Amino acid sequence: MGFPIFLGYMPVGAVFGIVATESGFSTTQAIICSATALAGAGQFIALTQMNGGASLLAVLLATTIVNLRYVLFGASIAQHLKELGTTRQAALAFTLTDETFAVNTNDCRAGSATAWSMFGVGLIAWIGWVLGTAIGALSRDAIGDPSRWGLEFAMPAMFAALFVALAENRRHLAIGVLAGFIALALPAMSAIGIVVSDTLFIIVPSVVAALIGTMLFPKERVR
Amino acid sequence: MEAGFIWAVVIGMALANYMTRFPSIALFSRVSLPEPFMRWLSFIPASVMGALVALELFRPGGEFIDSAASPHLWAGLLTALAYRLTHSFLGATMVGMIAFVMLRSLFGQ
Repeated sequence: MGFPIFLGYMPVGAVFGIVATESGFSTTQAIICSATALAGAGQFIALTQMNGGASLLAVLLATTIVNLRYVLFGASIAQHLKELGTTRQAALAFTLTDETFAVNTNDCRAGSATAWSMFGVGLIAWIGWVLGTAIGALSRDAIGDPSRWGLEFAMPAMFAALFVALAENRRHLAIGVLAGFIALALPAMSAIGIVVSDTLFIIVPSVVAALIGTMLFPKERVR
Repeated sequence: MEAGFIWAVVIGMALANYMTRFPSIALFSRVSLPEPFMRWLSFIPASVMGALVALELFRPGGEFIDSAASPHLWAGLLTALAYRLTHSFLGATMVGMIAFVMLRSLFGQ
């Protein structure tokens, strides 16, 4: 189950390795950053901020805001982790990302998830991200532009498949589509002069659409 | 950039990201939440994926697509269809990547 995540993380991790070393990170720093943060967009936004001369606090604030959705993911997946001890929860929390959240939630709902299967998904994701970063940082001149192999579409493809998997009935599908519309409306609002930070493009639609779902479907079975 | 500053960012990012992940799991796995809040949480996975997919397919790279000849859009729809038919994440992801490369070439992008 984790292999598509590995496939998706490797090229993006490689891009992080390339951009980080071009921004002044040593290879070791780039690899350790990916290995300890496992933060995807949060890492890229940190690089952007650093290159713009931001302070340490501003960099950390940016990465935290981008990844605030992990708080939502944590609250959601916690409902399936009540049986686990604190140590196991702490280990699983370390590998919580968009993709591991979606795959593990899907497995939990299907009844096929165990603590070990969830660790496995997280570990494969972590290896893909760290290995990708190492490859990018070590061989950035040889790799050139990783997008020419179409690997850039691995993550969007995975999101599309995961969306179908997680939209388990018509109500969830409708709310997911609504979240998509809101997500597209936020950047489009710049046309009428309202600028919304792109760090909010995921969290605002998710919170609002789920709230609308809660109000529209009061009899929805919770699991 | 100074190495010391970069190390501070690396360590700070590790802590900051973990703090967005662990406390909510620890808290929400221990407390009983009111039913409407649980229902709200149950809609979160589909909502998050809906937002992510919409942005990836209709606004790839931070720019809205400006024609129907978009490899992102069609490859994404084919991926969703492939998952619906096969229920295989790996298979659907591979279909999506291959479709993307072919469509990109077909659309001359």
